[in-house]
Amino acid sequence: MIPDYLIHGGSMTMKRRLLAVLAGTAVVAAAAVSAASGAPKADPGITASTIKIGGTFPLTGVASSYRTIPTAEKAYYDYVNDHGGINGRKIDFTILDDAYDPSKTVPLAQQLVEQAKVFAVVGSLGTAPGLATWGYLNKNKVPQVLLATGDSYWGFSFKKYPWTTGWQPDYPGESKVYGRYLASNFPTAKIGVLYQNDAYGKNYFAGLRVGLGAKKENIVDAESYDATNPSVTQQILALKSKGADVFVVFALPPQTITALVTAAKVGWNPKATLINNVSANRVYLLAAAAAGANVDGIISTTYLASATTQKNLPGVKLAGQIVDQYAPALKTSFDRGDSNIMYGFGAAWTFVNAMQSAGKNPTRVGLMKALHSLNTTKDPFVYPGIKLQTSAKDNFPIEQEIMIKWAGGATGDWQSFGKLIGPVR
Amino acid sequence: MVDLAQRLVPRRTAVTGGVSAPVLLGLVAAAAFLVIGSLASDIFAQQTVAGLAQGAIFASLALALVLIYRATEVINFAQGEMAMATTYVAYQLTLWGLSYWAAFFLTLPIAFVIGFVLQVLVIRPVQHSVIAVVIVTVGLFILIDGIVTWIWGADLKFMKAPFGTTVYHAGGVAFARQDIGVLAVSILSVIALWALFRFTKLGLGMRAAALRPAAASLVGVRVRWMLAIGWGLAAMLGAVSGLMTEPTQFLQPTMMQPILLYAFAAAVLGGLESPAGAVVAGLALGVFLNLTGQYVSFATSELRLPLAFLVLLVVLLLKPTGLFGRKQVRRV
Amino acid sequence: MRIRPSPGEAARIGVVAAAALVLALLPFGMSNYHVGLGARVAVYFIAILGLNILTGYTGQISIGHGAFMAIGGYTTAIMSHDHGTNLILTLPLAFAIAFACGLLVGIPALRFSGVYLALVTFALAVSVPQLALKFSKFSGGSNGIRTQTAPSNSWLYGASWSCAALAFLCAWLLLRGRIGRAFRAVRDSELAAASSGVALPIYKTLAFGISAGYAGVAGSFFVLVTAGFAQPNEFGIILSLQLLIGAAVAGLGSLWGVLVGAVFIGLLPEISASVPLVGSSHGQDVVFGLIVIAIMLLLPNGVAGLFRLVESRVKTAIESDPKTS
Repeated sequence: MIPDYLIHGGSMTMKRRLLAVLAGTAVVAAAAVSAASGAPKADPGITASTIKIGGTFPLTGVASSYRTIPTAEKAYYDYVNDHGGINGRKIDFTILDDAYDPSKTVPLAQQLVEQAKVFAVVGSLGTAPGLATWGYLNKNKVPQVLLATGDSYWGFSFKKYPWTTGWQPDYPGESKVYGRYLASNFPTAKIGVLYQNDAYGKNYFAGLRVGLGAKKENIVDAESYDATNPSVTQQILALKSKGADVFVVFALPPQTITALVTAAKVGWNPKATLINNVSANRVYLLAAAAAGANVDGIISTTYLASATTQKNLPGVKLAGQIVDQYAPALKTSFDRGDSNIMYGFGAAWTFVNAMQSAGKNPTRVGLMKALHSLNTTKDPFVYPGIKLQTSAKDNFPIEQEIMIKWAGGATGDWQSFGKLIGPVR
Repeated sequence: MVDLAQRLVPRRTAVTGGVSAPVLLGLVAAAAFLVIGSLASDIFAQQTVAGLAQGAIFASLALALVLIYRATEVINFAQGEMAMATTYVAYQLTLWGLSYWAAFFLTLPIAFVIGFVLQVLVIRPVQHSVIAVVIVTVGLFILIDGIVTWIWGADLKFMKAPFGTTVYHAGGVAFARQDIGVLAVSILSVIALWALFRFTKLGLGMRAAALRPAAASLVGVRVRWMLAIGWGLAAMLGAVSGLMTEPTQFLQPTMMQPILLYAFAAAVLGGLESPAGAVVAGLALGVFLNLTGQYVSFATSELRLPLAFLVLLVVLLLKPTGLFGRKQVRRV
Repeated sequence: MRIRPSPGEAARIGVVAAAALVLALLPFGMSNYHVGLGARVAVYFIAILGLNILTGYTGQISIGHGAFMAIGGYTTAIMSHDHGTNLILTLPLAFAIAFACGLLVGIPALRFSGVYLALVTFALAVSVPQLALKFSKFSGGSNGIRTQTAPSNSWLYGASWSCAALAFLCAWLLLRGRIGRAFRAVRDSELAAASSGVALPIYKTLAFGISAGYAGVAGSFFVLVTAGFAQPNEFGIILSLQLLIGAAVAGLGSLWGVLVGAVFIGLLPEISASVPLVGSSHGQDVVFGLIVIAIMLLLPNGVAGLFRLVESRVKTAIESDPKTS
């Protein structure tokens, strides 16, 4: 009663032949169907009135502090929809939760492509989830665009994976900025580094060493932490004990806050502290200050407009209106300067912009072409003057950053200094 | 009733359990090592102090696990999530205008009720099977996570620092008021628990119910309610550990998960039935991790958890009932 | 020692054959996406089968089978990535390595029972992904490692369910024979088993090894259905807990409910996401948690218990019905 090919799991020839026959039939059938319909069909997800897109995000689990990003993106699409959509089409954005677990991302990506039949996967978050799905998406020629991660894979591998793009500046590029800054401003410092023990932290650390150049000998100690460590106190104490007087943190936001608070708690007062821009969210610094951290003088970088210090920018005003009208739940964190919201708006703007460039009858090829030839300073949500630029040779949309320094203690804010730096890579 | 119940409970199992001479000797030696090391080196002292503060948090959650194990002979996998949920309750109370400590003390009875009700509703019906209880607590783990995320969202939230942010210096060692506070609160909860078990009729009844349920009910102890009260108390302790964790992990649904792993290790290391064992093991684990992190270069951050469990495994192989555990008599 | 009544057994073989037929025909009527989900169910099927051999038949609790899945999964990923090994050939290798690791864990586990064993295996589940992070040169670390080829969903469905059928057959043959009797004797009373000549350490360790081997093969397929991508986050503690939930839903100490347990953990998160009101992302956990608790309260012996109940009801109904007798 049980078919042979099920029992003889070892010999696959039978099964393969069966599947081959089956696949053959399917192809013939599909050809017949498409021949019958005649006219050139629009790409999946595009109808006369809608553009269907989706993305996977860690709404739960260890990385859930990023969940405001997709909420902001959805709010921006709603705003665009209420103002005529993209060439009359409304954006239908599906947000799925993968909890930062690639084994969940893979079926969710299949669900988006095959069940929801999205036009593109837009803004999905995380390096490992991105790496787990880019093979599938590229094979099926589905755009996987504006990935929310600062790893450089998307920028460097676009010949092999032409359907994938990132958005933000890459991590090692950012830490090179810190390295160069330290080399010229603190040439005799003893540098202590705290980094997450994965590719994210290690790439940051590697970039710092490159940026320091000959001064990389100044690094007296580097301590890693693991996401399952209950605190980073041991690491901070080790850095302090090695005599470090400049503190560089390449961590995720929760651990960055803990690190800053802990440094104060153990009586360590480095003469300079640098944190990465993922953690340089005003909301987190306020929390760290309230918990006792010495936040004044902390240095980082940004590429986004600030909702708190740049209130007069048209982009910030617009962002405020969109939050009020489409995402009132984000109001409190927006007013406190949650940069993840501005990130979501900025990335969503880029998608809408690229879709407009893709023309009245957008195709997947057209979208990728638009994203590979970005050249605009009009994104209202990024730091004024930053240009989104890509070309046949360069697939890093944002490559400029500005340095920022915290002032004003527990009620303070970031102040930018110096000129736009770029290209960071 | 009390007299009869008293006879059911061997005096030595009260709170300390039976500590064997070699274990006691080992602990004294370890303590001496820490003191000498601390006098010799500032960083050694500083890591030890920080380890104790960290260990106190492990200890308070381990204590909750032990309490439930004593009452119902099961491990509550949802203990950490219950602690997390009650911490959110305290957070909500502060949002409604209560001061930190008012919220703290109001949260404790709320936690008690939550623990009590959970035991009656979902644990009691499956109590006869260890595996069923384990699975129900796993279900609770997932459920509580979902409910908290639903109500409060999964993004980071922050409470006021309960002990202020002052730092004291003694020699080359910094003592944060925060850490001293956490240590004090944990020790106070152990003392309160010990007093409850040692000096009150309720505590006696709970011990009797856990040790000899059938005999206890014969002498008039309401075993079923004792077990529920055990869960309530454990939830209270959990709330304390959640609130003491918040200043370092902040409020997020996953905040207690790393703590729970170490609390498990501490509870088992201490012998599962011994509150004192849980506290000693929790503190020891905290110090051990900090010192190996400082001095053993191979013990990088990702190996910290495997290392903790390796210690656990070695101790268990040498002494299968943990450091403070009693010898188990296997009944045929 | 229990010996199954043979008419019941015959009926059960019929049910299994019918289930196998449905599983064999199912992919022809399903979309590619659902075929992928079906392969995922096969992964859980194999893993739960293995866990059941250990926990259900010898009474040793394991909350660490995710660790063995990780070992199997990484075997497949590394062999294919570094050496270009044929994916099918990595399966027996995954079985062998996980089997060996299972034996290694099984030996110290001899000293533990009940809650202690649960916690030791729990520790294992938490530690193995950490090792993959530590030895990132070998395992790809947090950025994962990928097989050279990523098979299609229909290939995965065929291969995983063939393997599942084979695994089921082996488990069934194993458990109804001498070894199975020894396992059950160990579970029911270690002392009685030992005094009647069962070599406790050998059988308990063997059960650990076989069970781990099953989990290893399941882990290989788990990585393959994840586009051939192995990464530490995939093998978190929640995976081990899910397996335990699946085994309990299926019913411990019986093979007949395993399919339901596998479908439960494989598809419920999918289904609960579309429940109204709480059906958004976080509602998923609410529904999943609630159902897990409800099942344990209502069906303490899992689906297999329910089957037994129905079977005995039917039997009494037939016996009391004068027309049939």
